[in-house]
Amino acid sequence: MLNQTSMEPTRQGRATLVDLLDRVLDKGLLINADMIISLAGVPLIAVNIRAAIASVETMLEHGLMRDFILPQILPQDTPQLKPAGAAHDTLPE
Amino acid sequence: MTARGLYIYCVAKGDREEPLDLCGIEGTPLWALTDQGLVAIVQECEPKPFASADQKVFANWLLIHQNIVDLAWERYETIIPFGFGTVILPTNGNSARQNLNEWLEKESAEVKRKLEYLKNKAEYGVQVLWDPNVILPRIREQDAEIQQSEKETRSKPAGVAYLLQRKLEELIRQRLETAADVHFKTFYHRIRECVENIHIEKVRKEDPPKQMILNVSCLQNKEAMPALGAVLEKIGQMPGFDVRFTGPWPPYSFVTAGG
Repeated sequence: MLNQTSMEPTRQGRATLVDLLDRVLDKGLLINADMIISLAGVPLIAVNIRAAIASVETMLEHGLMRDFILPQILPQDTPQLKPAGAAHDTLPE
Repeated sequence: MTARGLYIYCVAKGDREEPLDLCGIEGTPLWALTDQGLVAIVQECEPKPFASADQKVFANWLLIHQNIVDLAWERYETIIPFGFGTVILPTNGNSARQNLNEWLEKESAEVKRKLEYLKNKAEYGVQVLWDPNVILPRIREQDAEIQQSEKETRSKPAGVAYLLQRKLEELIRQRLETAADVHFKTFYHRIRECVENIHIEKVRKEDPPKQMILNVSCLQNKEAMPALGAVLEKIGQMPGFDVRFTGPWPPYSFVTAGG
């Protein structure tokens, strides 16, 4: 096995996006409790979103998804999560 | 603030309650909230299902969800991801935060057991596609019944030949189905042998003539990757077969009951 070529997993490309959305939309931990709502109970939304994916595909297919999303979620373009400073002051009740 | 909901991305082990230098959906700041030695990555939100009529907005939210989960995965190393759109509501005088704590208290043992199980592991997607146009000639070569049926079809007058042709097509369809089934089983067992856990997923429709004959989610120790890669490389080298190998993903497919 040692000298054999080995396929590497990828997170790029259109088929990968579909694979990702299958996971984000249909999987992950589900809690059945009155105090929780989740998309699992709203099937039409999930169908709708699959159609919507085409609209972001073009944006994503030439690069990393992160290049597109990170600027939105990292206010200072920080490369990774880190303890925050003074920007947040109210702990959710 | 008591009427607000909490949108939850994932849970991990941790005891540091802190704001994170990150914005979630609609630019809302993220928090790591703790209880029972567990940390939940959340943001405040309206206490209702997450929906937008604008598909671009919605798609953007999905990608934000995934990217937040990814970043949390890097930071906390082992996480239990939630699917998109999970909101903890305020109920009967309890704030969403109180409800989150109640849930963590009730489920902490099970959540910690799952986190222990998922340590150092990642999820990978594997799909095998085949092209029936490449596979069929090889099946035909070895199948006396198909060869006989083809001979008969050619030798009969048009009306009879038409019926025989339909019969032949049905025979070919059955043979392809059987072959797909045999290949599925062979590939499944080869893959199963080199991963920690495996789930069979529904096959997806592909652009013709390609057909997906196997779709699985695999849970694998991150260091044991080459074994799976080598198996998939071999399958991909078979004429008429293509392999897709995606990941590493947070373990979305392995966090439900029974893990």
